[in-house]
Amino acid sequence: MALFIFRGFCANAIILIPKNGAFLHKIRPKRSQFEVQARRSGSTEARPAQKSSQMATRERQQQQLQGFEAIIGIETHVQLQTSTKAFCRCPYSYGSDPNTTICPVCMGLPGTLPVLNSRVVEFAVKLGLALNCEISMKSKFDRKQYFYPDLPKGYQISQFDIPIAKGGFLDVDLPVEFGGGHKKFGITRVHMEEDAGKLVHSDTGSFSQVDLNRAGVPLLEIVSEPDMRNGIEAAEYASELQRVVRYVGVSNGNMQEGSLRCDVNVSVRPGGQQEFGTKVEIKNMNSFSAMNKAIDYEINRQILLHKQGQANQIVQETRLWDDATQKTFTMRKKEGLADYRYFPEPDLPEVVLTDEYVDQIRKSLPELPEAKRRRYENMGLTMQDVLFLANDDDVCDYFDSCIQNGAEAKLAANWIMGDIAAYLKNEKVSIKEIKLTPKELAELISSIKNGTISGKIGKEILNELICKGGTVQGLILEKDLVQIVDPAAIEALVDGVIAENPKQLEQYRSGRTKLQGFFAGQVMKKSKGKANPVLLTKILQEKLNAGN
Amino acid sequence: MISCGLLPRLRLAASPLKPGLLPTSKRSSYSHRPRCAAALESPDVARLADAARISLSPQEVEQFGPKIRQVVDWFGQLQAVDLESIEPSLRASTEAVSSPREDTPETFDNREAIIEAIPSYDDPYIKVPRVLNKD
Repeated sequence: MALFIFRGFCANAIILIPKNGAFLHKIRPKRSQFEVQARRSGSTEARPAQKSSQMATRERQQQQLQGFEAIIGIETHVQLQTSTKAFCRCPYSYGSDPNTTICPVCMGLPGTLPVLNSRVVEFAVKLGLALNCEISMKSKFDRKQYFYPDLPKGYQISQFDIPIAKGGFLDVDLPVEFGGGHKKFGITRVHMEEDAGKLVHSDTGSFSQVDLNRAGVPLLEIVSEPDMRNGIEAAEYASELQRVVRYVGVSNGNMQEGSLRCDVNVSVRPGGQQEFGTKVEIKNMNSFSAMNKAIDYEINRQILLHKQGQANQIVQETRLWDDATQKTFTMRKKEGLADYRYFPEPDLPEVVLTDEYVDQIRKSLPELPEAKRRRYENMGLTMQDVLFLANDDDVCDYFDSCIQNGAEAKLAANWIMGDIAAYLKNEKVSIKEIKLTPKELAELISSIKNGTISGKIGKEILNELICKGGTVQGLILEKDLVQIVDPAAIEALVDGVIAENPKQLEQYRSGRTKLQGFFAGQVMKKSKGKANPVLLTKILQEKLNAGN
Repeated sequence: MISCGLLPRLRLAASPLKPGLLPTSKRSSYSHRPRCAAALESPDVARLADAARISLSPQEVEQFGPKIRQVVDWFGQLQAVDLESIEPSLRASTEAVSSPREDTPETFDNREAIIEAIPSYDDPYIKVPRVLNKD
């Protein structure tokens, strides 16, 4: 051990300085917090039907809590989408054959030394800034020591007392169907560390199997303040975190592949009590809805124990969520605090950042989900529209591009959330893959608005535009789709249809006025859907009633 | 910091610094760390061995006690250095390296040798005793 320390004395500091042009990505204005707050107050709108379901949700939550308060804190591990591991040049890609992306460094072989991947620091600073944290201009790595077969070195390189970022917050808009509302959750810290390998437990046999491909892959651990109070808030915190890591491009945030993993601490205390109850850790939730359910299950389990006078049965432990039975169960009891014997990593120099470096990253940050939501809200969209659009940055880019091409916000939102979203869902493709460009969607919207084509025709050609591309103008000409707005032309069509259906005309005139729909349908059919519906109705009514 | 971290349950005693042990240029450390003059606790060798997953016989425990204490004493000498006027440093050296590693992958070309050296390999996995619990 002493030898390591001496090597530490020789280690140099890594000073990260920007390289010319390295951060010339999109430069977008940063939102003003104050403006956002001011705007919020007058903007909580909800339809009556939603309001009643909100009340119901809130009442149900109140009832379930029965005078108790739940306290939830979340530790999230985010796997960074770098090309190489944190401390060696091994590539990493999910799903590689076991034990193929390994080298002496990540295998922890004697005589090897870690060398920090500069991209890990860049991503850490990026996420730190996106989470409104204070960035540590000097930080260091530490060794967290424990013995487990997926950890080849016998210690994990992590950050202990000086994380790269701390003291931030995350803004969350709760879904309308769960009562809505805006929340701010504190971020305690963000630190850099390496992942461990994967342990596979064989069903039979007396051994386990280890795949070390993942060993050494860079992670950011994000620790929240204990600010969440129920499963929905926790799930929304996690889902906002997923949006942020995706927006800033540090991780794919994929929960199923384990690129985003949440460990949740839950405790319950009687209302009015100052000190926290005993906290229980829950792991193994691989979706936001599982997280929501696992937490609410755990809160109820703890409240029940309190009410039965068995609060002492709540022990500090790690429980796993079982999706099949919808229950949490004990994985291991914790006996006292684990002693990880942290000490400064002697093989790595401290991480020193310059103001210039941090500023360049700050400038390179894209518009974040919270800023997007406030901007969309300001366009007059409903919260449901806002949440749908801002959920995915590709959808945001698409929507924004439609607006830039002159589309009206509400109409663009309707098309994207309606027909386009349905297509994406059915075909399982992303909005980036469809052939309909935002410019053409804007064109489609304005063609309908200015009466060139009818809304019905618009819907009909949408699918073709999505699958095959092309321009709205081109399709209109090619298929002769221009709406018939000439009253004389419509009159001729109406006359024709009336003449062809004397029986129906007689019935109509003797009181069956519902037959107007039949005539309208016939005229529309004759015009191949191109007749302007307003004109058609007007002229048809005049003609039908003319004989009276 | 370093030695306290290594052996967290041991407190360091100040002992006189031997002249010439530390070159003056290397005298950067923590000035806020109290220079403790308290008597040194004996190392709990059994606990340390357990934490390091090392089995020691009672005789070895006896032998290692004084040796560990000697190492700690040696570090303890650093406590005598007067650092009142020196700014705390995270690490001993702050000499800059301006080019940290670029994020470009390189596949290690002698994977066979690594696999060869694994004591119990069950293609394609490393075989270990069955483990389900971390603590």
